[in-house]
Amino acid sequence: MPLTRLPSDIRPVLDNGTPAAMVTCSADGKPNATVISQVYYVDETHVALSFQFFSKTIRNVRENPRAFVTVFDIGGQAHWELELQFERSETEGPIFDAMDMQIEAIASMTGMSGIFKLRAADIYRVLSVHQVQHPAVTASP
Amino acid sequence: MIPGKLVRFLEQHANVAFAGVRDRDLVPFGHRVSGWHVGPDHRTLTVLVPQDSPSRLLESLQHNGELAITLEEFPSHETYQFKGRYLRHRAAADGDFEIVERFRRRWVKSLRPLLPDGAEDALNGFFSPPSLAIDFEVLEIYLQTPGPGAGTRLVPPMER
Repeated sequence: MPLTRLPSDIRPVLDNGTPAAMVTCSADGKPNATVISQVYYVDETHVALSFQFFSKTIRNVRENPRAFVTVFDIGGQAHWELELQFERSETEGPIFDAMDMQIEAIASMTGMSGIFKLRAADIYRVLSVHQVQHPAVTASP
Repeated sequence: MIPGKLVRFLEQHANVAFAGVRDRDLVPFGHRVSGWHVGPDHRTLTVLVPQDSPSRLLESLQHNGELAITLEEFPSHETYQFKGRYLRHRAAADGDFEIVERFRRRWVKSLRPLLPDGAEDALNGFFSPPSLAIDFEVLEIYLQTPGPGAGTRLVPPMER
């Protein structure tokens, strides 16, 4: 059953810096899938996503505010699916500053320093969240 | 037509992918991808998806046919997005499981140097066995590697 508030056990997954995947849709009905570097926990009903480039994702959510994000919990053999609604964009303040610092840390860890640069923190309301467990896999030798 | 350079990227380098669709109300939805292969005509891609939420995925595809898939080579972050139109689907077959196994090994090998000992089991679990094989016709390809060039349309080429 999907939740409408972020449960406490999603926090470590959001905080671990694993890339997430995001899907948006333009007003004329074209979906767009992309990898995003960070999903930032704002409060129980909001997350912030980084706006780094003038991308199709940014254009899409400004004409159709619905978004879908999958956050991978690789260690937990699961993923979280979040249905979101874009609310506003912030270019200063505590959320922006905290995301800016995290982006820089992620960039330096992944060899992308100087390429990742935060333009804005886009704030989304959480419409639903639920966890999907992955089946156990036995790797072949 | 998928250019040869991108066919090689898909077959030899990409190690993680994610698919996006939308429903009749333009609500987007995403689905994990466990494997892929390029059709012999280099115009179609077959996407292998695990048993997460296949009914929602198929309902959207059968309603409007719109499909986007982003494919990345991790950890280099070379990334491309393929957009196109759903053609057909079928249950995953033996050959599809072998393809996913190949991608799983590629994924684990690429991340092994970055992770502590004992993390391989978790990495193996990231690629779930396929449930469905979805064929789609590739109509557009975009560069998505992080940077100012991200979003550039490669196929068909953008007009200058």
